[in-house]
Amino acid sequence: MLSVMYRWHAVASWTWDAHDETCGICRMAFDGCCTDCKLPGDDCPLIWGACNHAFHLHCILKWVNSQTSQAHCPMCRREWQFKE
Amino acid sequence: MTVDALSSVCNLGVLDSLSEASISEILQSWNSFCLITETIVKGDDTNLATSYSKFQSYVSSLCKYGLRSLVEEHFLLSLQDMLEKHCAPRFWSNFDAYNNVPDPETDDGNMHEDEVELLLCKALEGISSEKQYQEKCILMLVNSLLLCQENDTSIGHPFDMEKIFFSKYRLIVSSVLMTTMPRQFTAINMFIEILHWYFKGRLEELSTIMAGDYEDNNESQDNNQPSNMDIDGAYDQKKTLENKLVRNIGMVVHNLRNLGFTSMTEDAYASTIFLLLKAKVYDLAGDDYRTSVLESIKGWIQAVPLQFLHALLDYLGDFMSYLSPESTKSPLASTPSSCYQKSGKPSEGIIRWQLRLEYFAYETLQDLRIAKLFEIIVDYPDSAPAIEDLKQCLEYTGQHSKLVDSFISALRYRLLTAGASTNDILHQYVSTIKALRTIDPAGVFLEAVGEPIRDYLRGRKDTIKCIVTMLTDGTGGNNSGPGNGDSLLEELNRDEENQESNSLDDDINTDDKQTWIDIQRWEPDPVEADPLKGSRYRRKVDVLGMIVSIIGSKDQLINEYRVMLAEKLLNKTDYDIDTEIRTLELLKIHFGESSMQKCEIMLNDLIDSKRTNTNVKATINQLSQTGAESREHGASFDILGATIISSNFWPPIQDEDVKIPEHVDQLLSDYAKRFHEIKTPRKLLWKKNLGTVKLELEFEGKTLQFTVTPVHASIIMQFQDQKSWTSKNLAAAIGVPVDTLQRRMNFWISKGIVAESAGGDSNDHLYTLVDDMADGGKSITNNEVSMADDDAETSVASVEDQLRQEMAVYEKFITAMLTNVGSMKLDRIHNSLKIFCATPPVYDKSIQQLQSFLSGLVAEEKLELRDGTYYIKKNNKL
Ligand SMILES: [Zn+2]
Ligand SMILES: [Zn+2]
Ligand SMILES: [Zn+2]
Repeated sequence: MLSVMYRWHAVASWTWDAHDETCGICRMAFDGCCTDCKLPGDDCPLIWGACNHAFHLHCILKWVNSQTSQAHCPMCRREWQFKE
Repeated sequence: MTVDALSSVCNLGVLDSLSEASISEILQSWNSFCLITETIVKGDDTNLATSYSKFQSYVSSLCKYGLRSLVEEHFLLSLQDMLEKHCAPRFWSNFDAYNNVPDPETDDGNMHEDEVELLLCKALEGISSEKQYQEKCILMLVNSLLLCQENDTSIGHPFDMEKIFFSKYRLIVSSVLMTTMPRQFTAINMFIEILHWYFKGRLEELSTIMAGDYEDNNESQDNNQPSNMDIDGAYDQKKTLENKLVRNIGMVVHNLRNLGFTSMTEDAYASTIFLLLKAKVYDLAGDDYRTSVLESIKGWIQAVPLQFLHALLDYLGDFMSYLSPESTKSPLASTPSSCYQKSGKPSEGIIRWQLRLEYFAYETLQDLRIAKLFEIIVDYPDSAPAIEDLKQCLEYTGQHSKLVDSFISALRYRLLTAGASTNDILHQYVSTIKALRTIDPAGVFLEAVGEPIRDYLRGRKDTIKCIVTMLTDGTGGNNSGPGNGDSLLEELNRDEENQESNSLDDDINTDDKQTWIDIQRWEPDPVEADPLKGSRYRRKVDVLGMIVSIIGSKDQLINEYRVMLAEKLLNKTDYDIDTEIRTLELLKIHFGESSMQKCEIMLNDLIDSKRTNTNVKATINQLSQTGAESREHGASFDILGATIISSNFWPPIQDEDVKIPEHVDQLLSDYAKRFHEIKTPRKLLWKKNLGTVKLELEFEGKTLQFTVTPVHASIIMQFQDQKSWTSKNLAAAIGVPVDTLQRRMNFWISKGIVAESAGGDSNDHLYTLVDDMADGGKSITNNEVSMADDDAETSVASVEDQLRQEMAVYEKFITAMLTNVGSMKLDRIHNSLKIFCATPPVYDKSIQQLQSFLSGLVAEEKLELRDGTYYIKKNNKL
């Protein structure tokens, strides 16, 4: 009779699971990274707005900081609020 | 001519005053003179002694009547007559008898050597003693004439008279010998050949004597100056032998010269010396490329031929100090008496000989090495000494173009053939670059030599893959070089560091640079060479650049590397990527950081995976300790590891559905859940066909280890609960098509773990676990780790596959064009695609990419390639 012992090394890919594929600000893939970053993932996280639009954190921060008054979502023009 | 002048020569006025008594005295004296002259000329030393007083009285009586010139003329004519009728024919007849002279250039018939020496010496001795006798006769005439001097003021200084006679006589001797030389071509030839044979024999003898001498000198690290004497018995003995031999040769040369054979003699020993030198170069150089021979050759030139010439010229100089030769057309004869003057400075003649001999040696060695350059480069860097020799030879002769022509034809004949593997060609290409940059630091003709190799490699499909392997992998492939596990990149990097640390020395070495500038005259400078920059900023041969230029662009090379890297990383289970990090650093140095960005992220994924893996497992273990869910699986997490990739930066990965064992599947979803908790909102997507499984199969009392893919593992694990499976059922259980299953199954069948038999259905097979592994199966008794590499299927899409997909849209277009036009060359297809595919899908591929795609179509027999032109393949199986 056969019995099998094993060590299993598996392979997976990660995803932010955002519904769009690319960031509306930098046009780079969400699962990639923004134009300022070199490494994706933890180093270049995604952030969702209250409007449910996602952006690279670095992209939306740049956007928000560049606005003189209240910032709006670049996608839907609603007032930008970070999703709780 | 005036009457006065005439009378002063012939003394015609005397005739008027002659009495009858005088006339009879004259007649009597003349007759007696003629008789005694005949006796003397035909006689020997005894005749000479007994006839001397009579001869003298006849001469003086004739001179008294002013008939001196008649006396002189008759006497010389008698000597000449004797030479013509007797001496010269006797001399030449020696060689008539010798009909079968072996060719001096072939070494058969050494037995004749002594005969030749004896024959030549005997002939020369014979005629020389006859000549010596005649010279004595002339001296007797001179002396007799001197006694009459008081009566005749027209006679000059006694020494002058002697000189005039001897020089007249020498002319007579050589012209008689030349005119009596047998007319037949063979006879003259034979004489010359005899001379060759003679000198060859003597020089070889001398070479043997001096070879010992030369080796002794080498051992004691002395330079081989002839004045450098260790006084010991052996040396003295050698010296005596040598002196005797040189005296012997000197005598022969001296005799030959005196007979008027000066240039013939010199030609003979010169050509003999050159032949001997050539043989010596061949002998020393041989097929051994691992030692330098140039110094030995130069040493031999000093020790043998120059010593010989020096001694010979010294000998001739001493011997002929009172009779300097008239013919001075050769460098040898110009200053025969002082080859090495007292100061030890060699004479101009010897220096000229040395230059001639060295040039000849350089050229001979160079031709030898060029003819074998292909083998030498195969042997590089062990053959570096031969390359260094060749470099020096070429600097001397400047015949670089010879090397280029010869090497290119060797490459075409030996290397650029269907039978040579791409790896071999590449290694030879790299060795060629490395070897030739020593000779050609600016890479001027390396460019010419490399072009055919590059052209050829561009037509091969596996070129890029082989290049990347060679560059980045120190262990794999057939590393024919001495690359102790180092990749080519590693080696290039080390070379560069060495060069930097040597750059100071380089500046000092201006002599070499001057030499290099000098020899660069052999061909126009490269176009890129900036005259303002001069030698200080010479461009360096860029090995990597020359390799990349095969592919066309570095991007293609990096792409290929990325695919290979992906494959490697996906097969890792220990996250150990030190080698890959090092390689990436080197690639970044050469290709720039931004080009390597994706590869860097791939490596970073492995570093992250290791960290995440530890985190995930730690939190799962905590959970299981607090008694939450899946306690039964908790312990099992130790058997799981995962590599988590940022798929956007990896090459496309082949997804294949597979049902892995439920237990493992459960572990994977737990793992993914934990990941999501730690990294919210990130999620994991498993690629279940990828990864590596280490198996330990346990039968009764027997354990076997394997490292396999998840599909292989899933298959064999199905046999734990069920001993036999039909292929259809097993394929369904694993979730793969039946043909895929059958291919994977071959691995287990080949290992003797599973046996295959025909099932009930003709399309169905029955797989049964082999039970009695003890004596059945395929006798795997050891605990070896077998890798399941049964099929070349890889998890990562190759660059070729990617290109193929991208190019597929143009395939129809290319076929349509070729069908219409008939045939097209690569660049024309390329240009047409650029023009006609300007609207999406826009054609944006390089010509190399197109070529690679087309060679794929050729391999599939859709197209045909002849002489660089593509055709639609006829009789296409549709
Ligand atoms: Zn962005
Ligand atoms: Zn960023
Ligand atoms: Zn929005």
